[in-house]
Amino acid sequence: MIRLRGIAAAPGVAIAPPRFLGPLAGDGAPGQVLDLDAAIDVAVEQLEALSRRLATSGRGEEAGIFEAQALLARDEELLRPARALVAAGERADAAIIAAGDDAAGVLESLEDEVLAGRAADVRDVAARVARAIRGEAPPRLTERAIIVARDLAPSVTAELDPSFLAGIALESGSRTSHAAILARALGIPAVLAVPGLLEATFGARELVLDGDGGAVVIEPSVAERQVALAAAEGQAVRQAGDRELLGRPLATADGHRVMLAANIGAPDAAARALEAGAEGIGLLRTEFTFLDRSTEPDEATQAAAYGSIMRLFGQRPVVVRLLDAGGDKPLPYVSQAPEANPFLGVRAIRLAWRRPDLLRTQMRAILRAALAEGIREPHLMAPMVSDLADLRLVRGLLDESIADAGAEELRPRLGIMIEIPSAVLVADQLAAEAAFLSIGTNDLTQYLLAADRTNPELAHRQDPLHPAVLRSIARVVEAARAAGIPVAACGEMAGEPLGAVLLVGLGVDELSMEPAAFGAVKRAVASVTVAEAKDVARRSLEVSDAELVRRLVTAATERPAPS
Amino acid sequence: MSHVTVSVRNPSGVHARPAAIFVKAAAEHPPEIRITNLTRDPGRSASAKSILGVMQLGIAQGHDVRLEADGEGAERALAELRALIEAGLGELLPP
Repeated sequence: MIRLRGIAAAPGVAIAPPRFLGPLAGDGAPGQVLDLDAAIDVAVEQLEALSRRLATSGRGEEAGIFEAQALLARDEELLRPARALVAAGERADAAIIAAGDDAAGVLESLEDEVLAGRAADVRDVAARVARAIRGEAPPRLTERAIIVARDLAPSVTAELDPSFLAGIALESGSRTSHAAILARALGIPAVLAVPGLLEATFGARELVLDGDGGAVVIEPSVAERQVALAAAEGQAVRQAGDRELLGRPLATADGHRVMLAANIGAPDAAARALEAGAEGIGLLRTEFTFLDRSTEPDEATQAAAYGSIMRLFGQRPVVVRLLDAGGDKPLPYVSQAPEANPFLGVRAIRLAWRRPDLLRTQMRAILRAALAEGIREPHLMAPMVSDLADLRLVRGLLDESIADAGAEELRPRLGIMIEIPSAVLVADQLAAEAAFLSIGTNDLTQYLLAADRTNPELAHRQDPLHPAVLRSIARVVEAARAAGIPVAACGEMAGEPLGAVLLVGLGVDELSMEPAAFGAVKRAVASVTVAEAKDVARRSLEVSDAELVRRLVTAATERPAPS
Repeated sequence: MSHVTVSVRNPSGVHARPAAIFVKAAAEHPPEIRITNLTRDPGRSASAKSILGVMQLGIAQGHDVRLEADGEGAERALAELRALIEAGLGELLPP
């Protein structure tokens, strides 16, 4: 039995065999290398299976995309040039990538928005075939397993059958990485940033994954297994309890209400958020309309996407965050020089310095959608605001967009994300001109503690319970109060039970999180009175590190609530 | 050589999903079938059995396409594909 420590990234306990994904560092065995035709068969089979699975689970729209990709994968128009390149001595994987690029280029040259978007599908298919050639074919889960990998790409996770996914253990990653967010959304445990994971788990038959304590146990002993089974049972009981909590609001034991909102990143998540009891969308990440495509989305495409979500939520607020791309999330259609520090680079609203048209198109799309859906006060939120000059720049673009869209009858509410330390320090100035503030604790923590959130070695420093982060939040809440505007929190902290209790104690008006966290957060907040939450928050501001804060809040929430 | 001409009414043109439906239907028929987008480029045609070829024709709403086939079953294939396009290739058409 070996026990490895990592970051507890998603709660819960799982016992299952490991399943390795991606090239392995530990096994030393080279992947099987296929020729072009065998790789095509593999790719077609993968795509057809994926399409069938999505179709039978009611995701017809996505199924259609992969059905078309399966046809592309065996399309001679795509394969003929690749075969010619192979015949001329090119490596098979490079040949299919080159053929895919050429074919995608033709689609892009058509000046047809929809078809140019399909260029991404062609490249995706070529990349899949190339992976199969190199023996990197993503395995399908055929039985319940814990995924073990160095890192997990979003395109890989789309293919994993959630019903077989028992948990995720990664050698890299952090609380805010994609895999962590996915695990929390699915309600499965995840332990990330585990040094030596691949080497230690290679050949193992069974793992215990402890997403609460942040541990991976390899070949657990009988005793260890029993403890884990009991924990897994407790978890099933808790999940049943979460369903009971469904109809109840987010409130402290003595009835102090806090608004419960959802973070979503795609239109199809809106309905699930509503079913889970969201009182609004606190963070609509709009990158889904911009990423994974080779041309800029036009106004109508964006308006349709935003409008579908607004329609569902009616008069409940939907906070649309303006494009947060560039830097570490480059857009193919916005030329950008490589940056040494993308997190400190030209991203989010900073792109507006160079490409104001990007933001204006997005703003017009939001306004048009609001007009069409009869929403008089659409909520827009600017990310990466550092000071008043940034806010005024965005405000100016919004005023122009209102005129362009003929939306003078609307009263848009422009708020800002507080995620840069300078914005915390001038929060009073910002609050005087913003309609609302929303604290993005993920980036705020990274910037405040100078800890790169993509660096696994610093993952333990990425802790939003750090007193410096808590003091920043207290300062922002104070500024919002003085200006008479609402303040929300929309980082991962809001969706963690201890973090949520602290945020309520610090006086935040709204918590926005992944809907899967609603139950656990409601239960934690209901375990304290508002006075207790304030008391533990006040004491947490005075201690020296996140671990002490964690202990203080744990003690406060575990004390039986006064009857 | 038989041929038919038909107008595409799909709001987003022949993008991935409608193209997939069209190509699969074409593949059911033995004869070679060529498709030309008369509106965009009458000089360029593609195999109706290639999704990439069909997408690369850039068929948008309102474009006229010409289908050609030869040999046994050609007439039936063209009639069927034409009906499929007129019915919207699996998508709802505007009134």
